[in-house]
Amino acid sequence: MSKRKWNHPEASKEELGTKVWRSAGDLEDTRQLREWVDREFPRASETMREDERENTRRDFLKLMGASTALAGFGLASCRRPEALIVPFTDSVEWTIPGKPTYYATSMPSANGAVSIVATNYEGRPTKLEPNKNFPNGKGGGADAMVQASILGLYDPARSRNYLSEGKVIKKTDAEKALTDYVKSGNVGFVFGEDDSLTRSAMIEKLRAKYAGSKFYAYEALAGAGKKASAAGIFGKHVQVKADFAKAKKILAVDCDFLELDKQGDTKAFYDRRRPEGPNYDADPLAYQAELNRLYAVEPTFTVTGGMADHRAPLAPSQMAAFIDDIATVINGGSPKNFTGDKAFWVQECAKDLASGDGVVLLGSRYDKELHDAVFAINSKIGAYDNGLLVARTQKKHAELGSLEDLAKDVASLDTVVLMTPANPVYENPVIGDKKFNDLVTDKNLVHLGCEVNASANAANLHIPAAHYLESWSDGFSGDEGIYTVVQPMILPLYGGIQALELLDALSQDKIVLHDSLSDDTAVSPAYNAVKGTFEQYVKSSSDGFAKKTNWMELLRTGFSADLKYSVAGKGNAPAAALKVLPEPTSAKNADLVFSADYSVLDGRYVNNAWLQEAPDPISKLTWDNAIYMSPQTAKDLELYDEIVELEKEEAAWWAALGIDTDSTYKKTSVSEDGEGPSLFGPMVKVTVGGTSVEAVVIVAFGMADNVISFPLGYGQGYDEFWKGDFNGEAIDYKESPQNVSSVGVNRGFNSYPLKGSSDYFAEGKNVSIEKVEGKRYKLARTQEHHAMYGRSLAREISTLEVTKDGGFTQDYDAQLKNVSKQGMDSHMPQNISLYKFQGKSVAMPGKREDEEQLWDKSHQWAMSIDLSTCTGCSACLVACQAENNIPVVGKTQVAMGREMHWIRMDRYFAEPGSANVGDLDSENAKENESDEEKKKRKAEAAEVINPSKDWNTPLEMIPNPVACVQCESAPCETVCPVNATVHTEDGLNSMAYNRCIGTRYCANNCPYKARRFNFFDYNKRNPLLEKNLYKGPLGEKQEGDSKHLQRNPNVSVRMRGVMEKCTYCVQRLQAAKIDAKQNVKKAVQKTGRPSIEFTATNELLMAPANSVSVACEDACSAGSILFGNLMNLDDKIQKTKAIREEDKDLEKNIQGAYANPRTYDLLNYIGTRPRTSYMARVKNPNPDMGIVAKKVGRATIHMH
Amino acid sequence: MANYFPRYTNILPLKIAVCLGTLALGVVVAFTYYGSPKAQVVGYMPDQPIPYDHELHVTQLGLDCRHCHSFVEKSGHANVPTANTCANCHHETKGGIKSDSPRLAPLMEAIDSGKPIQWVRVHKSPDYVYFNHSAHLNRGISCVECHGQVDEMRVVFHAEPLSMGQCLDCHRAPEDALRPLEEVFNLKYNARDYISKNETAKNILEDYVAEKSLDVDLDDEHGAQLAMGTMLKDRWNVRPKESCFTCHR
Repeated sequence: MSKRKWNHPEASKEELGTKVWRSAGDLEDTRQLREWVDREFPRASETMREDERENTRRDFLKLMGASTALAGFGLASCRRPEALIVPFTDSVEWTIPGKPTYYATSMPSANGAVSIVATNYEGRPTKLEPNKNFPNGKGGGADAMVQASILGLYDPARSRNYLSEGKVIKKTDAEKALTDYVKSGNVGFVFGEDDSLTRSAMIEKLRAKYAGSKFYAYEALAGAGKKASAAGIFGKHVQVKADFAKAKKILAVDCDFLELDKQGDTKAFYDRRRPEGPNYDADPLAYQAELNRLYAVEPTFTVTGGMADHRAPLAPSQMAAFIDDIATVINGGSPKNFTGDKAFWVQECAKDLASGDGVVLLGSRYDKELHDAVFAINSKIGAYDNGLLVARTQKKHAELGSLEDLAKDVASLDTVVLMTPANPVYENPVIGDKKFNDLVTDKNLVHLGCEVNASANAANLHIPAAHYLESWSDGFSGDEGIYTVVQPMILPLYGGIQALELLDALSQDKIVLHDSLSDDTAVSPAYNAVKGTFEQYVKSSSDGFAKKTNWMELLRTGFSADLKYSVAGKGNAPAAALKVLPEPTSAKNADLVFSADYSVLDGRYVNNAWLQEAPDPISKLTWDNAIYMSPQTAKDLELYDEIVELEKEEAAWWAALGIDTDSTYKKTSVSEDGEGPSLFGPMVKVTVGGTSVEAVVIVAFGMADNVISFPLGYGQGYDEFWKGDFNGEAIDYKESPQNVSSVGVNRGFNSYPLKGSSDYFAEGKNVSIEKVEGKRYKLARTQEHHAMYGRSLAREISTLEVTKDGGFTQDYDAQLKNVSKQGMDSHMPQNISLYKFQGKSVAMPGKREDEEQLWDKSHQWAMSIDLSTCTGCSACLVACQAENNIPVVGKTQVAMGREMHWIRMDRYFAEPGSANVGDLDSENAKENESDEEKKKRKAEAAEVINPSKDWNTPLEMIPNPVACVQCESAPCETVCPVNATVHTEDGLNSMAYNRCIGTRYCANNCPYKARRFNFFDYNKRNPLLEKNLYKGPLGEKQEGDSKHLQRNPNVSVRMRGVMEKCTYCVQRLQAAKIDAKQNVKKAVQKTGRPSIEFTATNELLMAPANSVSVACEDACSAGSILFGNLMNLDDKIQKTKAIREEDKDLEKNIQGAYANPRTYDLLNYIGTRPRTSYMARVKNPNPDMGIVAKKVGRATIHMH
Repeated sequence: MANYFPRYTNILPLKIAVCLGTLALGVVVAFTYYGSPKAQVVGYMPDQPIPYDHELHVTQLGLDCRHCHSFVEKSGHANVPTANTCANCHHETKGGIKSDSPRLAPLMEAIDSGKPIQWVRVHKSPDYVYFNHSAHLNRGISCVECHGQVDEMRVVFHAEPLSMGQCLDCHRAPEDALRPLEEVFNLKYNARDYISKNETAKNILEDYVAEKSLDVDLDDEHGAQLAMGTMLKDRWNVRPKESCFTCHR
């Protein structure tokens, strides 16, 4: 660590008050972690497993021999390969070869359709962006799952055959079987929870045709409780959505409304979270009154909890007690279920909510009774009257029953048709006292789906479905229920059947499934159906021309605001006393939360490699799930010491003998469970109602004690290689690789069997947890990969006045002004860089000695990242992967720190210590007190301030996305021996892959750890097969022939041995600059004069203000990332930038017109002059919260 | 002890070293030349499915480049025409020109069957090079600079090396190639003839030369181009970039 101490001097006493860590190892400062961190990069040979190391040298020689031989053959055919140009026969409308075409469509989901725009290159969709033209700019965002859905389209393992109990059958046989199955008319249909108008219309047709037909909706995480409550209060088909434009105080009771449990569009929420207002143009002090305040009470960290101003960990069984107390306080009483600091918290929270503009949101999967109680609270505080919550009726929504209804009707049904995106056979939900699979065991099961999963294999007839990007359909958006259209981007790649096509076929006399493979000109019946619905229900017109233009308009915009959900009338709920459950008291009988997963949701994305490799926003776990528990719970289960080797006692013992263990420490003394490739986690056995599951444990922070959280959706199929992921004995498992693709195989543990009939959690008294000895499971976590060190990496301030250690106070204004002076910047002049960017050109010696390096007067690109609104959801990371052809590397490689993501989402935990609360005890200060007296006084004060580690010491989670920050004085450029990375005129740090020879010096010299090295041919070889990458050219190639179709044609696909990194989406910047060049010709033509008379200014060659966006910026639904051109004074980026101190008196290219006080540069003091700047997070705590409020907004991150 | 090796063998190692050195040098020199695009690709003239004659269509009939390569000013790619572009003139049912010629049989077949014609690619930059046609054409760089006198080619061939050196030469000295936007698609353009026919242009250029006191001879073909290029570079704010991201990304 000596090296790092030298670079980044110790933090001041004041800053040390906040304890900051990334992982348990970091928190406890373990040897394993120190060893890993000291090494900085995994040592290549050491990170290989024993068996690989043995083989390497021999393999190398063998390969050398083989390639020499091949080179001989190669020379014989050293001829120019003939390439072909194949133009269309008939010119295609809108298509310009080489230019993308954009089409609006939408992605159906249970939370409402997401309106998106798909980028198409020559007919291939390659990228999805949110639809910015959607009303009020609420495209609904395009979160990680939307971004990754494009990969699902090209999944080579997608279903392409008709199956009967897992065996391939012919299409004609499938049609015959289908005819047979529906003959009796007693057919049950199970749809997803999304709402489609055309489907509703078709359901009516089917109802008429099949007398005994029944219709249901099912998705595992749809939230039956919320739905039932709304149905009881408002009537059927009513959705309650929050209007975050109006809500100012929000209490999220275990409700991840920003990500996995959407309660309405969140754009307005983020707008009110930004201290300068939606467009960065308000004065932060004036806008302070408009800022919203978020309270979160939850058992385990969610991204919503990370955003909260006040967050309290609470067991799920205690939510009833919590809501009960909130209701009591709002009705004028005082808390009765909680005592002490918790009661205080509840009381002040409830008072704040009741004081106006407050709203309570409860997790959708809690019971109806709880939702009814929350409805009563919201009615009482006026959330409905003031429009903070709006109940909307789904117009013309077909009557769809629940699985309970299916259980009642099942005796009368002969056939069940599963059309839901969920996987009911795998999930096997418990309905009443029966399991789904037992219910349908003697029924004819028909399944329509994109994936060959458990349901597909179990079905009597599986029909391959078309992806939503290959389908016609419609839906309603998640906020106001605006009508959106789903239109296909491409003909079904594998001849899949669209949902509406199947329904249409079933409604015909003779069942014939549409065949898009053999006749690609045939019009899909789904097209006619959607068009028919639109003309009938949405925008009808008798005028033929108007009819046509209306339809074209819908296809162009992707939505029609002519049809929306209507606002429902006032609701009424019977007042009922809440049943308060006992608190879980022992770790062995902890409450068990069945959480939704940020990667696979309910399990449907298990075959999506991008999502699997995107680290979980909270735990930074990739490729698996795990049981999460708090450090205390882990200690109680005797697991914590296994995860974190507590060596302090041992060290003290050695120190007493005069031996410094740090210096005598040897590699052999490191236990097997370390960081990186040797990270194995201990296992526990969880039993609920007689069913046991063994799974790996991860210590998570910010969780309530005696609660464990077990994400759903994993463990869908294993093969014989799963054993290899265990250290010691493997758990018992059944091999069922047929249910997953090579991506989804051997992924984590299945928690569905434990779920029983409880929708969200199992009460502690029904759960028993015991430690499993002798089994450990390999984990790939990225939290300590590419770890950055330095002071004030992420900065946070509070709107409240804070007392600093030393007795002085700072109000909001002063804190704002102080942002750029936090950490090292407070007392250290910026390092003077040896490598000045101004003056002589470093990049291009010879030619332009007289010119500045950053000479482009039209474009100087820059980015800003606003931590106030960044939740750490990682949508940007997946969007970047889609845009920039970033390969997936697989679990083994991730464990070695070789993930290729260009954006790294750092996530820090921070716990304010008592020192940070300042001199609250200063009134007790005596004059001339000695240091010891002072220390004692402070300790006493801390004791008073911090009686328990419960709700008084809020744990904060702060994400910090880091990609290449495009330093103007880039340390990487000076060390490249071949000039493969040099600076461009417009301020980018360019990376020429074809020039790179892979020395990796640049990565070693990057203080931001933003560079990624291609250790293997990840793009060519399949990294998911065991040891495949080590076989080099002899390894198996990527499976399938479709993945490359997703690739962005404007970005090089990188090969083995080159360095890569964020380029600010240079392909988009070049396109914008080239488009601007076309302005010249247009301008000349406008003058009507010869072109030689024309003078082109810098402004003419400039891309229009705010016209250029990068992939991460587009994907960010919070608008945390802003990209722009510093040379354009109208660009929004100006408002997020500060003028650098040293630039003030220098005449520079860069014309910063605004000075945003929240802006700071990462590691500013090392003098790299990064182009990406960050904006400090502002927390808006409740001033009445007393000591708790004083501890909020202190999570400035220092890593040493 | 007898001398096993005669005296002359003393310089044998030197001789061998010199020979090997010369050989190695020869190989290097040969490879630098014969491995370069100049030797490898210049003159590449593949057979096309239809022996399309640029000389006939452009020089004799006067078609503009953009008649067929229609999006070349808008897109990075210079598109090859679709079959129905050819059919505008050659369609058999509409009494098209030479529609019964056996040479046009592949075109007729494409139109009938919908299966596209497979042209053989002549100019191809490597995968990691992102050349953009529109960026050059809209800034006064003509087709001829990279593709040669296509208007005189009966069969299209690779006329220029299109090596990175060629790109950089032009990016470093664009004045050698810049021409008025109106003349970009005129493959017969040269600056001296242009100003000799165009009085206004001549005056403008002479004024500029006088103003900047350039030492050029406007009556010389190269001098006229240099003057014209320098003026246009100056007026149009042309500053070609040389950093890697310009072409590689």
